[in-house]
Amino acid sequence: MSARAGFTALLVLAVCVAVGFLLLPIVAIFWEVGLRGLVDGLRSDVARDAFRVTLKTNAISMALILGVGTPAAYFLATRRFVGRSLVVTILELPLVLPPAVAGIGLLSAFGRLGLLGGELDALGITVGFTQAAVVMAITFVASPFYVRQAIAAFEALDGTMLDASRTLGAGPARTFWRVALPLAGGGLGAGAVVAFARGLGEFGATIMFAGSLQGVTQTVSLAIYQEFDVNLDTALAISAVLVVASGALLFAVKVLPLWTGSRSTSPSLFARSAST
Amino acid sequence: MRRAALIVGAVLVVALPQLAQARPAASPKLTILAASSLTEVFPRIDRSAAYSFAGSNQLALQLEQGAPGDLFASASPTYTQRLYRKRLVEKPRTFASNALVLAVPQSNPAGLGRVVDLRGRNVKLVIGTAAVPIGAYTRQVLRKLGLTDVLSKVVSEEPDVKSIVGKLALGEADAGFVYRTDVRAAGGRLKAIRIPARGQPEVRYEIAVVRSSRHKALARSWIRTLTQTARARLLLRRAGFIVR
Repeated sequence: MSARAGFTALLVLAVCVAVGFLLLPIVAIFWEVGLRGLVDGLRSDVARDAFRVTLKTNAISMALILGVGTPAAYFLATRRFVGRSLVVTILELPLVLPPAVAGIGLLSAFGRLGLLGGELDALGITVGFTQAAVVMAITFVASPFYVRQAIAAFEALDGTMLDASRTLGAGPARTFWRVALPLAGGGLGAGAVVAFARGLGEFGATIMFAGSLQGVTQTVSLAIYQEFDVNLDTALAISAVLVVASGALLFAVKVLPLWTGSRSTSPSLFARSAST
Repeated sequence: MRRAALIVGAVLVVALPQLAQARPAASPKLTILAASSLTEVFPRIDRSAAYSFAGSNQLALQLEQGAPGDLFASASPTYTQRLYRKRLVEKPRTFASNALVLAVPQSNPAGLGRVVDLRGRNVKLVIGTAAVPIGAYTRQVLRKLGLTDVLSKVVSEEPDVKSIVGKLALGEADAGFVYRTDVRAAGGRLKAIRIPARGQPEVRYEIAVVRSSRHKALARSWIRTLTQTARARLLLRRAGFIVR
């Protein structure tokens, strides 16, 4: 066996080890639950309520993330100013923060005894234990996944296109809507999908900041945690659905750009932002 | 390149068995899986053991799934007896009792004075899930007092008693059912409201040696220390437990 073949064999072995290690727990979930358990588990009130709460809160946070994150990312991608790296670092910080830290932080800021607790209380707003708290927890931990990718997507745009738009008489806002957004669409979509997938699985910050109550604040991850020593089938069934949903989302991100053919504007999923 | 591969390989070969094995048999150190409510008192009784504190129901499940451990201390006989029936632990022994209280933050934002005040408007109540002992006891209390309607005031169901204490100590919730020992352990951050005697459930703690333990003799002597020495009994009493 030549040295080259030996090296290739080593690489293949590494791939097999990695795939095996990551795939086994996922296969085990389906193996343990079985079709019967899957159907029964998903029929339970706990599972149904958890999916309803999760979809609702995630839809709201995605709207917030896209609505605020897109213009913010466009600004950061197209302007250079002092302290820009610092701003980008702050926006990306939740990526590397343990969710428990996010939970403590949200409590310290918006909790009843927190920094803004008195002000919110005066306005008659209590955030703790409400779906608003769930939305805030999800938004906090998931937004960097979108913003980071959005900055990279806008930075990858061909500057001459934007310049052409401007010289042809379009204002900056019109250029943003009609040129930058469509061109960066693939990258933005990829970022949104990954942020959504992260939000679906949010656990640590939610249980600390929003608590866990079926039908109100109990998302799918919290339901899995609660049911795992009460009714393992329900926990397994919810997990199985999450595996399929997250897998489909991730796969869509990889495949969709190939279909739409917008190669140049949809950089790879975890494209490094040039700013970092 | 080759050196890097060698280092990675060496680290894997050396580190993984170490991580999986927990500790060498030369200096036996007991691993004790204990109910959350024992978080403060057990390390005071024996600082050298390794502890894993969680809801008794979660610990029981972990032991059923083959988690390593030498002793299991549960806040309810339900879980020690379940493992005893499955022959996973030796015969459990009772070592202490406890009582439930309604705990409120020191500032008492909802102005609660008695348990029935929970019926007032806008009270945020936090309890344990139905599976964890504190949650099961709480439901007994409310049934005995005819107060099950206050379950509508529950804003969160927590996986163990210390999570309830956390939500109260931060002032996020107005009230929560915990053990009286938890209020004492919280050191002035919480206030206890007594539960009438007719509403009080029997809260009994049991401990048992795990059958798969490799230090059974040591584990059995640990139980003797816990139940028979004056020092351990004094520490339990000081923490608020009832010791016979």
